Amino acid sequence: MNRANEKTSRWQTSRGTMQFMVYAAVCLAILLLPLVVQDDFMLNRIARYLVLAMVAMALSLSWGYAGILNLGQAMSFGIGSYCMAMALKLRTVPVHTGSDGLPDFMVWNNVTQLPWFWEPFWSLPFAILAGILLPALAAALLGWFIFRGRVTGVFVAIITLATMIVLNLVIIDQQQYTGGFNGITDLAQLELFGVTFDAYSSSTYYLVAISLTLSLFFALAITRSKAGLILQAIRDQEQRVRFFGYDVALFKTTIFAISAAIAGLAGMLYTIVMEFASPTFLSVQLSLSIVIWCAVGGRQSLLGAMLGAILVAGVQGALSESETFLDTWTLIMGGLFVLIVLFLPNGLASLIDLGRRRVRTPKSPDNRVAHSAELKEDRT
Amino acid sequence: MDFVVQQFVTGLSIGSILLLVALGLSIIYGSMGVINMAHGEFIMLGAYGTWALNAAFGLSLFPSLIVVFLGVGLIGALIELGVIRFLYKRTLDTILATWGIGVMLQQAIRLAAGGELRYVQMPPSLSDSVSVLGTDVSAYRVFIFLAVAVLFGVTWFILYRTSAGMKLRAVVQDPAIASSFGIDAGRVRTLTFAYGAGLAGLAGALVAPLKSVSPEMGASYVVDAFFVVVLGGVQSLFGTVASSFILGQLTGALAFWQNDTVAKALVLVVIVVLIRFRPQGLFVTRVRT
Amino acid sequence: MTAHLNLVDVGVSFNGFKAVNGLTLSVNQGELRCLIGPNGAGKTTALDLICGKTAAMSGSIIYRGQDITALEDYQIARVGVGRKFQIPSVFKQLTVRENLEVAYCKHTGVFSNLMQWSRSSDSGGLAHLAEFVGLADHFDEPADHLSHGQTQWLEIALLLAQDADLILLDEPTAGMTAQETHKTADICQRLKGKHTIIVVEHDMGFVKEIGDIISVMHQGRLLAEGTVAEIEADPKVRQVYLGSAGISGA
Repeated sequence: MNRANEKTSRWQTSRGTMQFMVYAAVCLAILLLPLVVQDDFMLNRIARYLVLAMVAMALSLSWGYAGILNLGQAMSFGIGSYCMAMALKLRTVPVHTGSDGLPDFMVWNNVTQLPWFWEPFWSLPFAILAGILLPALAAALLGWFIFRGRVTGVFVAIITLATMIVLNLVIIDQQQYTGGFNGITDLAQLELFGVTFDAYSSSTYYLVAISLTLSLFFALAITRSKAGLILQAIRDQEQRVRFFGYDVALFKTTIFAISAAIAGLAGMLYTIVMEFASPTFLSVQLSLSIVIWCAVGGRQSLLGAMLGAILVAGVQGALSESETFLDTWTLIMGGLFVLIVLFLPNGLASLIDLGRRRVRTPKSPDNRVAHSAELKEDRT
Repeated sequence: MDFVVQQFVTGLSIGSILLLVALGLSIIYGSMGVINMAHGEFIMLGAYGTWALNAAFGLSLFPSLIVVFLGVGLIGALIELGVIRFLYKRTLDTILATWGIGVMLQQAIRLAAGGELRYVQMPPSLSDSVSVLGTDVSAYRVFIFLAVAVLFGVTWFILYRTSAGMKLRAVVQDPAIASSFGIDAGRVRTLTFAYGAGLAGLAGALVAPLKSVSPEMGASYVVDAFFVVVLGGVQSLFGTVASSFILGQLTGALAFWQNDTVAKALVLVVIVVLIRFRPQGLFVTRVRT
Repeated sequence: MTAHLNLVDVGVSFNGFKAVNGLTLSVNQGELRCLIGPNGAGKTTALDLICGKTAAMSGSIIYRGQDITALEDYQIARVGVGRKFQIPSVFKQLTVRENLEVAYCKHTGVFSNLMQWSRSSDSGGLAHLAEFVGLADHFDEPADHLSHGQTQWLEIALLLAQDADLILLDEPTAGMTAQETHKTADICQRLKGKHTIIVVEHDMGFVKEIGDIISVMHQGRLLAEGTVAEIEADPKVRQVYLGSAGISGA
């Protein structure tokens, strides 16, 4: 019996190593891509998909692992992207600005003085920290509010969705401070450690690819820790976990905030890649898309969610040149998506699991006999 | 005083449209736990149906209503049979599947009818305004209010005064036991989903003359309808009425005090807080689980 | 003598229905107490009140001299109360091993668990536990694949991994074969002394096999308390179970 345990435990470890290798291989391929793809326009496009992959991966962390269906994931993404846009706006050469480097849209709206909450964004380090910590803080507060009250399931989805719409409406409404519908455009290029990150250059691509790799392995470490296991247990049977003495609300809030931090980082990168920030970055549409990417790739697999985003957004992007093409594709995609939900609840990643299960030895039919034999043995 | 009455009537008008778009959703969600993200697209289909019947056959709004109800109901039945049926064990996933269906319906309409805005003519008899409690209101909005009242009455009657409704309530409580008493749970669900979809279609037909018709029009309705249903309490038809009334009045009052955008944001904040403290809905009594 | 667990005049009602009404009960350290009573007597609710699943509306619950009435469920678990539910409640998507790892909860903080990477800490002990309840062959299988009986065993193993001082068992033998029931009784006997145990059961054979002192509940209160023989002879208890042939027929 003990030998059998050793064997399975070795199998378990090798499975863990395998996962690590696969993740590393995918990241390596992403990092080496500029050696093959030389076209800056193409690199920019792929960088964009990688950013979206990052935010999908972040959702997989909270939705796939902890069962928190966050329909407001784009809120964190949007906050991050605005933080970066504000900092880069203040760094533009005063061509687009009024007196004292006032952003152009403020001048158009007759604002004469930079509002207080813009002031700290003169500092780039502050902006970068804010882009990660603000979404995390917002999520921590919201999470604490939701999970302390033991709100679960669809109600979490509705609260997160509503909160995001509120922020979206506020940004649109306060156009003299936020640029309203148009968002914040005409940005400077990010300069960090003497490197200029032009959106259409390999430097930006590497910035995105490295950030993605680091955050993926950070998330992987979380899922492989005991906390990751406890989160999965919470997803399965929240109440049971409480009766083991774990403060479920605290665990959920933590993972919710970590997921938001990664999404915030992705949002910052998105601003750099797209060269603007807009209310569409925190829209219902984007939020739903993130959920969809996750579901297609496999919500319970970080890599699956990532690849799901690249696949769906990539195909959509490739077809976007022709409108009828795109419309037809979207129609087909809707259908494929329904099929995936019906037949592959864990997304395309479950195809790999299916294959793996087939390789494993099938369950022995004598199990029940063995089980009852053991019972007898124990009685005597 | 006039001002208060005017505000009240405005709120009533907003509330009646909310109830109109939420009623079908309330039945589908309340009785089957299915979170139907395609609800907005059912509304959109109803609006397009009305437009198409008028453009192709010169049919006016009133006769179109029957055709639209049956047509969208049929589509709902097919969707239940083809997709929803397999998801009753994991209802949270219905969010995803119905979203996919919504995307397909939207694209199908875009390909078939084009993406441009369409307009539906208001019946001439209702295009004037009438005086209600000393306030001028468009006759069409009064008509919508009455139509919603009738639809609600009919729905309530079906649910609580017919054997079909009793079967539905039995299936909601315990599908296995209901089946063992000879109720065809599958058929009951198909019909319920079809009825909910039909109501959404009617809602679309009725709001079409007020707004422009476009493939994307469903998106905003589905979100609003959700808030109404969840706030009212999942299995409470009267809760849905009460919450549409409250949200209508709240939106009307806040929109007067601030602009529309801020009003909407504030209403959402209220909804978030209410759901946090009463996830079971405002109008459902607490029971032992 | 101060008891290990003391319920003093505890009550809770649902929509006016008094499920538990002025329940007073005390259990000593290391004791195995059986809680019986007709349907609706409030047995499960009593367990719910102790472990914090339901908050008491009146009275107080004292555990090891500490008032735990107002604590949250997870805080009550931390002071050493473990619970097995009537409907087996395990983590279906996790393997047997992972289930046990979650239950093995010496550290409950978020940070310490984020920092704990080696999943196989004390894996030997957990494997031993799985073997003890006959699940060694299923150690790396998802709990989803287990039969009903095996799921019951797994949940009992979870309680052992949790190593709670006070263990609340709600109908642990439901759906078990005679053999399995016997084994459960055996486990209870072994745990007695080291742990304090409260068992809610309908199976009188099982109760007779394990119980020292039996508490009978009726209409939310304690009706009688005593040894098996005393309870069987008690006219009040007979009255409650009227129509059936005494409590043995319950």
